[in-house]
Amino acid sequence: MDTATTRRSYKRNQKKILTRTNIMLYLMILPPLVLYYIFRYVPMPGIMIGFQQYGLSGFKYWVGFRNFNVAFSTFFFWEAFRNSWVFVAFGYLFVTPSPIIFALLMNEIRIKWYKKSVQTISTLPHFITWVVIAGLFIQLLSPSTGYVNLLIRFFGGQPIFFMSNAALFPWLFTFMRIWKNVGYSSIIYLAALSGIDPQLYEAAVIDGASRIKQVWHITLPGIRNTILVLVVLSFSSVLAGMFEPIFVLKNPMNRSTAEVLDTYIYSIGIIQGKFNIATAVGLFKALISMFLLFLANFLSKRVTEDGRSIL
Amino acid sequence: MLKRSTGEKVFNIANIIFFLLFTVLMLLPILFVLKQSLDVGIQGELNISLIPKKFSLLYYEMVLKEESVYRPFLNSVYITIVGTSSSLLVNAIGAYTLSKRELPGGKFFIYFLVIIPMLFGGGLIPTYLLMRALGFIDRFAVLIIPAMASGWYMILIRNYYWSIPNSLAESARIDGAEEFTVFFRIILPLAKPVLAAIALFAGVSFWNTFMAAIIYMRSPKKYTFPVKLREMILLQNDKNTQEMEERLMAMGLDLNEIAVSSDGLSSAMMIVSMVPIILVYPYLQKHFAAGIMVGSIKG
Repeated sequence: MDTATTRRSYKRNQKKILTRTNIMLYLMILPPLVLYYIFRYVPMPGIMIGFQQYGLSGFKYWVGFRNFNVAFSTFFFWEAFRNSWVFVAFGYLFVTPSPIIFALLMNEIRIKWYKKSVQTISTLPHFITWVVIAGLFIQLLSPSTGYVNLLIRFFGGQPIFFMSNAALFPWLFTFMRIWKNVGYSSIIYLAALSGIDPQLYEAAVIDGASRIKQVWHITLPGIRNTILVLVVLSFSSVLAGMFEPIFVLKNPMNRSTAEVLDTYIYSIGIIQGKFNIATAVGLFKALISMFLLFLANFLSKRVTEDGRSIL
Repeated sequence: MLKRSTGEKVFNIANIIFFLLFTVLMLLPILFVLKQSLDVGIQGELNISLIPKKFSLLYYEMVLKEESVYRPFLNSVYITIVGTSSSLLVNAIGAYTLSKRELPGGKFFIYFLVIIPMLFGGGLIPTYLLMRALGFIDRFAVLIIPAMASGWYMILIRNYYWSIPNSLAESARIDGAEEFTVFFRIILPLAKPVLAAIALFAGVSFWNTFMAAIIYMRSPKKYTFPVKLREMILLQNDKNTQEMEERLMAMGLDLNEIAVSSDGLSSAMMIVSMVPIILVYPYLQKHFAAGIMVGSIKG
């Protein structure tokens, strides 16, 4: 064999996909591929159930958009729909800004050990499951034995029935969301804050800028991009993750302001067995989420420095 | 040293006090439940002390002795151990393939495992019907197998593999080592830090398994701990007290001296559920940065 043929066969080998090495590599990724295929891809065509008359025994006949019409004409659907968006709105109004304010104030604390302890304590709830968090607050707010009502009565007030007050529920839930996530979410802002060039502050001090002015003209612009990116990224998951907390916090008294689409789908689908209606509502929700994901993807190209997108 | 104005001094002190109050607010729910779980004293009207009136480990004893409570606890321990170890193995091995930039089809894997599942999904009902067809209802497999592989974890692990100097693997290849050997002998031992982080994240999420258990598990014997906890939380306090007293009489306790409630038991369960998290928390903290990155890295 001369050198030319060796080189040619080497080249051919390089192009060949099924070399011994590559087969090994494909085998290594096979388990995740199979798992994803079965549990993520096989159920996908199941969305067609939303367009079918589907009983406990299975497919009966096609009904077009009737399941959607049935859902859209139900009072409880609109209630869950409205509540979901109320929580989204409360989320952006209160939950999203809270870690930013937390980080800005925390950034002004100069005592290292104090800073560290507060951070450690406030980050912990992020890792505790919603079931326990909901339980903690249900106990804390109990009208008879809860600590908050003990305090209210101690100071001569009348006990408040927090968990059975529908008007109060969105506020309580928002408070719990902040309580759970403020510490953890602030980490990324604190990291961004520590990345701001200290020379900017020194220059500002020489120019006679007050602390407030420094925050306004240096600190906030310094984390503006981080805020924008995180807000845009959050669009893609606004309707997600509400099942667990609501499923524990919901009761017959506060249901009218607590029920969200996720828990609604569960109760009409799994509990009542109306698979077709539940799938239609799920599909409707998925379309909204997908639209928001594309929106986030489109916007993220504008707000990230390098024009990076999510997808 | 820069001079500070009076206004700034006031702000600094107010800020420190604010965070002190904030910390109290963060701790209060946990401390209150801790107190409830340790207290069997008869509460006088308006006892706002957070110190147990009559200290007792009775509720924790009940958690250990009551089968309907310790069984779900053991179930959660089981799925956490099996789920975390299998998830670690599957993702660590798969991520090695993803780390090969020149491998044909590499882009397809990212689309298949991360991007398409982010856009489309069957939703609750079709997934439920699949599990039913597979005979997975009421079996622990349904809580472990579908949650085993994770595209995000794989990307995180892959990024770490990329940071391992190529020369090590290269020299082994020159010595005639195959890819399997290179992976298990060289890459995997060097990837311990990222694997520890993933083990913690997966462990926490298996330990907190709730939604899947609510949907798929039927018999109370197979509940996970959070599911049992929810059941306890939602029990009406007074309705349960009588049942509770009967249990206590069976345990041979004098009911005139103590006051028990299902609140106490569910408080103890919440503390038990939090303890493993608090134990691994210092290690979790070390990997915060990585955890945040899970949500923000592109394939």
